[in-house]
Amino acid sequence: MAKKVLIVDDAIFMRNMIKEIFVSGDFEVVGEAANGLEAVEKYKEFRPDITTMDIVMPFKSGIEATREIIKADPKAVVVMCSALGQESLVMEAIEAGASDFIVKPFKSEDVLSVVRKVLGSP
Amino acid sequence: MELDLSKYLGLFVSESKDHLEALSRTLVDLERARPGEMPDLVDKMFRHAHSVKGMAGTMQFEGIAMLAHRAEDVLGALRGRSGAIEPELVDLLLAVTDALQGMVQLTASGQPPGGPDEELAGNLSRAAAALKRTEKAEPAEALARAAEAPPAPARASGPTPPPPAPEARRLQVEVEVAATCPVPSVRGYLVLKRLESLGSVLAASPGHEDLKAGRIPERRLFATIETSQTPEAVERALAQIADLSRVSALPEAGPATPAPPAPVRPEPGPEAQRTVRVRAELLDGFLDVVGELLLATARLRAVGRAIPEAQRRAHDEGVDRLHSIVKDLHGKVMAARMTPFTVLSDRLPRAARDLARRSGKQVDVAVSGAEIEVDRSLLEEIADPVLHVLRNAVDHGLETPAERISAGKSATGHVEVAARRERDRVVVEVSDDGRGMDPERLRQAAVEKGALSREGAAALSDAEALELACLPGVSTARVVTDVSGRGVGMDAVKSAVEALGGSLAIESRRGHGTRIVMRLPLTVAVQPVLLVRVGQEILALPVSKVHGAAEVELERLERSGGSPLLGFGGGHVPVHDLATLIGLEPGRASGRRSVVVTEGEAGRVGLAVDQLLGQEEAVLKPLQRPLSLVPGLSAVTVLGSGRPVFVLDVPRLVAA
Repeated sequence: MAKKVLIVDDAIFMRNMIKEIFVSGDFEVVGEAANGLEAVEKYKEFRPDITTMDIVMPFKSGIEATREIIKADPKAVVVMCSALGQESLVMEAIEAGASDFIVKPFKSEDVLSVVRKVLGSP
Repeated sequence: MELDLSKYLGLFVSESKDHLEALSRTLVDLERARPGEMPDLVDKMFRHAHSVKGMAGTMQFEGIAMLAHRAEDVLGALRGRSGAIEPELVDLLLAVTDALQGMVQLTASGQPPGGPDEELAGNLSRAAAALKRTEKAEPAEALARAAEAPPAPARASGPTPPPPAPEARRLQVEVEVAATCPVPSVRGYLVLKRLESLGSVLAASPGHEDLKAGRIPERRLFATIETSQTPEAVERALAQIADLSRVSALPEAGPATPAPPAPVRPEPGPEAQRTVRVRAELLDGFLDVVGELLLATARLRAVGRAIPEAQRRAHDEGVDRLHSIVKDLHGKVMAARMTPFTVLSDRLPRAARDLARRSGKQVDVAVSGAEIEVDRSLLEEIADPVLHVLRNAVDHGLETPAERISAGKSATGHVEVAARRERDRVVVEVSDDGRGMDPERLRQAAVEKGALSREGAAALSDAEALELACLPGVSTARVVTDVSGRGVGMDAVKSAVEALGGSLAIESRRGHGTRIVMRLPLTVAVQPVLLVRVGQEILALPVSKVHGAAEVELERLERSGGSPLLGFGGGHVPVHDLATLIGLEPGRASGRRSVVVTEGEAGRVGLAVDQLLGQEEAVLKPLQRPLSLVPGLSAVTVLGSGRPVFVLDVPRLVAA
């Protein structure tokens, strides 16, 4: 069965691009969220196998959202989408329980390879 | 040769304090610990007492050494016991820790610490004797040897490591980050975190701090871990991390147990050498100097305006360069002053416990975000307000166990202290699951105190009524403390938070608890301010409170209650003439005026000014008496021209 993905990013452009990558890799995108608040709600609703999480977002940061998601489900797999220069934020996110991260700008094969590794399905 | 001990005094004081704070923290943890965790905690405490004894002995502070020795005796006798520890014994050990702290403090001010409190020392001896009668104590030498053993590896937050199984083994782990990875140190950090979830990391190179600073020489990370997992399982777990070009986990030569553990520290040697302790006053001094530099640079820029245009460019370029260097320096000094919230939050469980025990309540304090870093001076400033709020939560918010049970709650009350970063702010929340506040009682109290008319009080929403707890007089009214259970000094807390450029919000549900949210700047010393002119006066407003500005003709605005109303952000804000508010000749009532929208006492307000002069980084200096008594002024800053400018406290100014 296709693995379920939740995409969190405040930019529609990024969400669309990430969505396309996942669809091409035979994942099922079950939901999208534009901020940290929505992310936590949608996570609880869909229980995806993997969540991609932008860091800087309105209302609630990706780090805070990750912390809450991991609190609700310690086995949650959250992959941070970061930019160069956000190293310390990514470390904060790892501290909060993120499983891995991708650095923007990224290529589709980078995203899929990180995600497959995290899910343990090469 | 006689050693000059005095030069080690500073180090003795700071390290002893660290140990004693850790000791008191662990004592509080002890009461909540599961039986299996006890030996570890007792070991830890023993080591802290032992370290203090050793250092005090070296410094020839016999009184401290003797008391620490007695405490060590009791802790030694506790080792090997698996049952719970009596609260009375915890009380005694806490009292001893406090006494030791007091004595260390005396030495810090150059006074002899004196002898130990006879009663405490006697109680300790009796407690140790009683423990030794019931349990077969280990020989003292074995204890002392154990004290040299490595401390339990510090475990950061995150997944709890599995309990070390009997066949725990040591593994040497080595990973190499792929050359294509743009941020190898973050990868290394992820590896280290993963290792911590698999077992105990005994040593790692580079360690956390190095990785945080972006250091990972040759993209390689080495670690020694103790784990119940097989090397293959560890390799498999690491293989799930992307961007690693090599992963290996090999058993360390020789079995991990039962051989005595090698003296490995959780953070390797090089880490320690890169860190130095600096006296806090020195850091304060640095900041003062940098503040003066910022002012001097601004002054140079102002002087430059008098230079003829043709020659000015070189001057301005030079000033720009200087400014950017000084800003950089300022940033670095501020970074050096950053202190983790732990320094404050570590004290909270103990404080809550003491209060709860005195009032016959049970409390469990959970702290999150202890790793958040804030400016040292801010931490000092918020310590009292946070403690105050915590005290309110325990003293008045939480019910007694009997009340809680009859309300269908657990007997133990919960208080959560959470710190987090939100952009350039730090948010500290203290929430409890106690009885909550009663908005109706607050309305009544406010009316009784004459702070509000009956109609005014009735017009407030419940959420607004909660804010009444922050009015002076209302908050301290006995009726509030007794009935709604809150309010002691909330006005003091609120004004302390606001003086720092922060804000305070109260949320509460009757029967469910209360949450106090304090939003604070990360640092207090330098804040961007908006400079405005009214008449001949220049005044500053904190940019963090400014929502926007507009240019309007006041007489064309709708009016309500005597004030013109400015349409702003989907609502209307009343506009006040700033000149009138500060007691100057009223400003022009007609023609276009600039209006700054900022936070007033109850929602946003507009301030009509003569001119917006621009934004500036202001080094804020606190006001001294008698100026500090003037309502509406929060601080003073000095402009580049040398002109002092007051920073306005708009809510108070509008209320006055």
